[in-house]
Amino acid sequence: MKKRLLAGVLTAVMAVGMLAGCGSSDDKNSKKGGDSSEKLSFEIVSKGFQSTYWQAVYKGAKAKADELGVEINMVGPNTESDVADQVQMLNSAINANPPAIGFASLDTEACMDAIQSAMDSNIPIIGFDSGVPDAPEGAVYANASTDNYKAGQVAAEGMYKGIKDKIGNGQVRIGEVNQDATSESITQRGLGFIDKMIELLKADGFKVCVTGNDYYVGKAKGADGKEADADVIIEVAVPAETTTSSCQQVAEPVLQKADTIAVFGSNQVSAEGIVNANDTLKVCGPDKIVAVGFDSGSVLKAAVKDKTLYGAVTQAPVSIGEHMVQLLYDAANGKDVKDVDTGCQWYNSENIDSEEIAQNLYD
Amino acid sequence: MKNQTVKKIDMQKVIIFGILILLLIFFSFANPTFRRYTTFLSLMGYTYYIAFMAIGVTFPLLTGGVDLSIGTGLICYALTGGYLVVYKGWPVWLGLLVAVLFGVVIGLFNGFAVAVLDLPPFLATLCTCMITRGLGSICSNGTGVPWPNGNANGAWFRSLFRLKINDFTIPIGIIWVVLAVFLMTLLLNHTKVGRYILAIGSNKEAARLCGINVVAYQISAYVISGFFAGLAGIAFAASFATIQPGLGAGFELDAIGAAIIGGVSTAGGYGTVTGTILGVLVISLLKTGLPYVGLQANWQQIIIGIVLISAIMIDIIRNKRARAS
Repeated sequence: MKKRLLAGVLTAVMAVGMLAGCGSSDDKNSKKGGDSSEKLSFEIVSKGFQSTYWQAVYKGAKAKADELGVEINMVGPNTESDVADQVQMLNSAINANPPAIGFASLDTEACMDAIQSAMDSNIPIIGFDSGVPDAPEGAVYANASTDNYKAGQVAAEGMYKGIKDKIGNGQVRIGEVNQDATSESITQRGLGFIDKMIELLKADGFKVCVTGNDYYVGKAKGADGKEADADVIIEVAVPAETTTSSCQQVAEPVLQKADTIAVFGSNQVSAEGIVNANDTLKVCGPDKIVAVGFDSGSVLKAAVKDKTLYGAVTQAPVSIGEHMVQLLYDAANGKDVKDVDTGCQWYNSENIDSEEIAQNLYD
Repeated sequence: MKNQTVKKIDMQKVIIFGILILLLIFFSFANPTFRRYTTFLSLMGYTYYIAFMAIGVTFPLLTGGVDLSIGTGLICYALTGGYLVVYKGWPVWLGLLVAVLFGVVIGLFNGFAVAVLDLPPFLATLCTCMITRGLGSICSNGTGVPWPNGNANGAWFRSLFRLKINDFTIPIGIIWVVLAVFLMTLLLNHTKVGRYILAIGSNKEAARLCGINVVAYQISAYVISGFFAGLAGIAFAASFATIQPGLGAGFELDAIGAAIIGGVSTAGGYGTVTGTILGVLVISLLKTGLPYVGLQANWQQIIIGIVLISAIMIDIIRNKRARAS
């Protein structure tokens, strides 16, 4: 009896892992395309629906689709950890035989077979958001995406203005919370930030050392110091799960170190983790730790407004959605398509309400 | 023999208590910032929702069942209540009530599926786990829900767990957890409901033959679990900024793991609420403390897994001995 129960629990645990999050499709436009001369219908597989960010992408895509008179069916896994779910979604999308597929991969390696079968069926793939990095030659026709490496650099430049004066009198620490060390958008952003920060620091004659998560330490370029003698330590923290609570758990020790002068959260979830940790710690703000976030959402917007966050970088999700659908449309009609950098912007308490910024911020 | 069993259960509690103290000492010496009051505050923030989940799930475990729906459930309840508050303008107290009632309804459903339809508990609650995960996304319209925060209207509910007086924060959520432990211990040891739930867990057939209404008391175990998952949802909403749909899978394992570490038998029949709460503290202390000693995240999971295996081994050995004597 007991053994059976144990076996049961174990089976259940495995089953949860496999089955969790099969849902979350947007069924507003489920009409499949490619089978008639009627409206074109595109399949779009996104990285998730969990944050308002993806809702903004959908908003842009839907608006463009209405404008062009085409249909879109956008789906995405429940969380950005559900790689297997996404592979399945991509397979179903290919089976629907659409004129083109919009795709933002969580893990390109895992999707290789599906991508190959899309190529075999001559279905053009248009990458969006973080796109489909390392895809085989010829599979992805074009990308509508933020250059994440550049966006990370923008964050580093923005932050550097706020910390320049605090460096040079003894060792200081800059923390970075990255939600994971696998997805292309997060790793590129994280590395863009680190590399740019090293470049800026070295230009001013400081020695830099990168510690923490092995992936980021290994990939960072140009760090020349040891932990003992560096002027600045960049410490990279990566949580066990991609949740706000998990990000908060790794942010707290970093925020509490006496030598920490700045911290960067490289997406909405990790930046919220920092803001939430600060709720009790009260260490971020003017004349305290310079905290920088990424993307938006009501929590981050409020934090930027009350200067808990020194600033943040926003992508242009609406524009990503629009450009993607345009590229899908063009690719389906046999036009030549080229990559589009959909851009990013630095915002802080001063320009958050300006029209240029506000249109890309979401709740 | 009875005396011996009692002694062994207490022994496990003593061991866990010792482990807790050792962990505290270790983390405090490994990183001085761990000793700060703020660390204690955030430790409590991670503890509340796991504690409520674990107290609740102790009851299905005691009947020899399990409730896997509490993790995704708590997110679903918090999303739904929060959605009504933030986007539909409902008063916060009503949103909180909705969260708890939603939990009770799902608990009733679980109980019905297990006791009346006779589904294996892990399958029945695995299904509700998936259902609540989907429901959460639907009920919140697929968007994240930021429960009122800071100076916003309705942010008072956060003070239920974290009372701020001037700049000093008191983790008064502890009161609710202690109260819950006290009441549920009372319920388990001194009421018909509790004694019968234990009886069902030790031997369902014998309980039935004794004239116990097995169906009703089994259902009540799942309702208790659902009710506490609702409370856990509130605790989670109060402790964290935004709730995102799709979260929650895996939370239940922290709670079930805590109950097992705390000496609740995986086969049902014995265990205590105080043991469970000690188990909760071990889990949340590990989760909060390990980042302070600079351990990479993946190691945390491995260590918690090893702790769990040890606890299950103790349970197995204890069961074998009980059978032998």
